[in-house]
Amino acid sequence: MLDFFRDGFYKDLALLLVITILLGAGFSQGTAWAIDEYFGDTLDQMIGEYGEYDLMLHIREEAVDAALRELRRIGEQSFPGYKLGQTLTIAGQANVFFGLPPEYRTREVFESITSYFGAVPGLSGYTLMVQPSVLIRGVHPGVRDELIERIEALPAVRFAVKDGSNLVVLAQSEDDLPKASAQIEDILGQYQILELRFPMGFAVDTQEVGERALEVLRTQAGSSGSRFANVTSAQYGEDLDAFLKTLVEMRDFLGSYASKVRISPEPGVGLAIGERLVLKGAGQSEGELIVEVTGVFSGLGEGMIIEGSPVQSTDRVVYRGFRPADNGELGEFIGEVEIENERYRLAYAVDESLRLLGELEELAVQASAAVDNAEAVLVTFQEALLQLEVLQVQMRQLNEGIANGEAKPTGEQFLVSLLLNGLLQTLAKGVLSSGEESLDSLENLDIEEMRRSLNGISTQIANVQQIDVAAIMEQIGFVRDTLPDLSDAEIGQSIRLINTYLGGQVIPGERVQLLIRGERLNEKELERTFQEELGNSYLHTYSTSAGMVSPDARGEIFRILREVRSIVAGLLAIIFALIVLVLDHATIFSTLKQLRAGRRFQKRPLLRWADPLLLLGGAVGSVLLSSIYHLAGGEIPFCGPVVISLLGFGMGVLVVALSERFSPVDSMELMAAQALGLSNVQLMREVVIPPSRPGLLNLLNRWKQQF
Amino acid sequence: MLLEIRDLHKSYGKTTALAGVDFDVARGETVVIMGPSGCGKSTLIRCVNRLTEPDSGSIVLGGRDVLALQGKELQDFRRRVGFVFQHFNLIARLTALENVMFHLVMGGMEREEAAERALAALDRVGLKAAAERRPDQLSGGQQQRVGIARALVSSPEIMLWDEPTASLDPILVGEVLEVMEELVEHSGTTMVIVTHEVSFALRAADRIVFMDRGQVVEEGEPERVFAEPRSEIARLYRKLLIS
Ligand SMILES: Nc1ncnc2c1ncn2[C@@H]1O[C@H](COP(=O)(O)OP(=O)(O)OP(=O)(O)O)[C@@H](O)[C@H]1O
Ligand SMILES: [Mg+2]
Repeated sequence: MLDFFRDGFYKDLALLLVITILLGAGFSQGTAWAIDEYFGDTLDQMIGEYGEYDLMLHIREEAVDAALRELRRIGEQSFPGYKLGQTLTIAGQANVFFGLPPEYRTREVFESITSYFGAVPGLSGYTLMVQPSVLIRGVHPGVRDELIERIEALPAVRFAVKDGSNLVVLAQSEDDLPKASAQIEDILGQYQILELRFPMGFAVDTQEVGERALEVLRTQAGSSGSRFANVTSAQYGEDLDAFLKTLVEMRDFLGSYASKVRISPEPGVGLAIGERLVLKGAGQSEGELIVEVTGVFSGLGEGMIIEGSPVQSTDRVVYRGFRPADNGELGEFIGEVEIENERYRLAYAVDESLRLLGELEELAVQASAAVDNAEAVLVTFQEALLQLEVLQVQMRQLNEGIANGEAKPTGEQFLVSLLLNGLLQTLAKGVLSSGEESLDSLENLDIEEMRRSLNGISTQIANVQQIDVAAIMEQIGFVRDTLPDLSDAEIGQSIRLINTYLGGQVIPGERVQLLIRGERLNEKELERTFQEELGNSYLHTYSTSAGMVSPDARGEIFRILREVRSIVAGLLAIIFALIVLVLDHATIFSTLKQLRAGRRFQKRPLLRWADPLLLLGGAVGSVLLSSIYHLAGGEIPFCGPVVISLLGFGMGVLVVALSERFSPVDSMELMAAQALGLSNVQLMREVVIPPSRPGLLNLLNRWKQQF
Repeated sequence: MLLEIRDLHKSYGKTTALAGVDFDVARGETVVIMGPSGCGKSTLIRCVNRLTEPDSGSIVLGGRDVLALQGKELQDFRRRVGFVFQHFNLIARLTALENVMFHLVMGGMEREEAAERALAALDRVGLKAAAERRPDQLSGGQQQRVGIARALVSSPEIMLWDEPTASLDPILVGEVLEVMEELVEHSGTTMVIVTHEVSFALRAADRIVFMDRGQVVEEGEPERVFAEPRSEIARLYRKLLIS
């Protein structure tokens, strides 16, 4: 059989194989690469190339330009060689990538991201995307430092950095990732957070209960020392917790508006929480009230009205409290009960301020009018002074004239002079000795100064008038109207409703978290023990992990992409090899089979299964597939080199077995060619291959074909 | 003797095709082989150019031990043996001319010379005009005449014919027999012809060899074997001739 190839066809075959392998590898790899490139490019645009950037800064869209400027400045100043890239803007938030030069990818830098980038304009947050890294989500703060220490001791790990509630663990290299990831999982597996949750309304001292719970654990597990720790964290992480907390706030808010009920029991009377009392007022106008006891402190009771309305008074109202009797009558007298109504007080206070504001406005108007009046008076006064001066001069002239006898005053003139003198003396009475002096001192009064201060007052009054008192009043009125318009009974019902809801909640308000190192404990088995030992049958136990290794989404996408590429390349290699085997090699095998038929009849049953032709086919298939597969970078899960070469072998054998069907060779032409003395290579090139299926063999043969 | 075959054996598994055949052909002689279907005629002549490998025995042609030939020698040898097939066995994608010149070129002859000679061979079988046609554009008789031209063109030492007219329409048989008779008469080539054409054998053969069950059962000049057949097979053919 081998001599068939000897006379030259082996060259054709070798060329075919080499070209097939190269082409197959190129095709498979190229296609896979194209796919990879397409998706990769799209992804790169969104999230940067693997390891290209370390940080994604979320920046308000309108501040992007300023932010970029600042980032460039920070980069040049602190991280020479930095990389900056902008990606998608989503919902008004731009995402900017920042890549650190390798020498800055240190713990110190990653731990102080905020101090470096905190001042970037419009920054609303950032995401660490350092590569290669393992992300641990939801790391309990109580274990964080211990975890960091242990994880950093791993040889595959460079360092670990806290990022919010996550830990970002940097691996030495990308190849180390799977190992590091597995080892971290392993470490995390050695921690368990046991949570004791108490129903709402139980005020728990987490420190004290924690210590007691630890004691319980120690006796239970029979071990002491450092295996257990109280790591209760105050953080309300979960949404439901936040909601419950809001409800509690709400309850307290409502509670503060309810009338305060203070019960002073008679000596020897005990009060129980939840007990109901009937209150009777002193006068007939006050109806009956029903009050629930909500707390008892050092003998005094507190309560909440759940039926009826107290007298609307800003003062304390004193009622008489009774236990209700079965027949609806009043039972045992408990003591005096004081009711104080905060709502009425507030409403009263608001009403008073409204009144005050109204007065203020009025006052401003009046004051303004008064100032105007004062100014008018001043002007008149000044004018009067001027006229006085004129009169004075005239009077002097008159007096002189009279004295010199030059002028002969009329009786009228004389009379006026006399009157004026009298007036001036009256004006300056007691202060001024002579008429002239008195006028001078009047002129000395600083009228301008007076005017200035009047102006000042006027401006202030104008300012007061400018205050939109109406608006303020409207707002205060609004506040007043929105004061919970609830009766005490309604408030009481609401509080009771909220309490009922909170009480029925599985996720309660208070929790104690215990860290368990080493072997895990069954939290459900421990629940009863805790309930008994801590004397609270409502507590529940839950178990959580100290942190979860989460596939870093970005690395994961790229890993999947690489995997997909390898799988695609592998599949294409297989398909390509099969096509080549069917199109090209089937022709050769089919010819070999035909030629063999004319040979001496061989009857060697032992070798029937080891038909050399099948073996040859298998070998060709194996070589072909293995080479293409590996050159193409194919990697299909569970398909190692052995599997692939076996697959190739199988494909080859199959193609040989079915070669006549895949590529029938005209036995008559073949026989004629033999009879005509054609060499094997001629026979292949001129007779067999030209009419065979169009393939690489056929294509390559065209160069050599003579007819 | 040009061809000497001794004690040739060939079996296909349990089927014995040749059971010790002795067979000689002199140079220039025309031998017709006759015998019932499956008696081993085709096997015998195919052994001569090694299209079939015999199990044992010897074949000597022109002094060469045929069974010892390998590779290039065997190819050269085959080129010196013309073979005409029952089913013509032309290369379907080549024209008549190409079919005829093909192996000359393969044997190393210049293309022009080969074409010239092929054209002459086609002319000899009366098909010069059809030189550029492909087999599927030719009738069965014409195809076989191309087949004959192909065997002829290399001036073989011996021509082997395996029932050349057996797959032809009766109307077309005549034209092929005509060509054959002409060749027998004028080419001087040594011929071994397997055929059931009794009258042709009578006219053209120098000697007729009868085979049965893988053996030569009778041989002699045509007149003699038909006049006084000694074997069952010869008698059967005589009946055929008379009818
Ligand atoms: N390739 C083969 N495989 C198996 N048996 C074969 C093969 N070729 C021929 N035979 C058998 O060998 C015997 C001789 O066959 P061969 O073709 O030589 O007979 P033949 O005389 O030429 O018959 P025909 O007149 O039908 O052509 C037959 O029984 C045939 O079935
Ligand atoms: Mg036959």
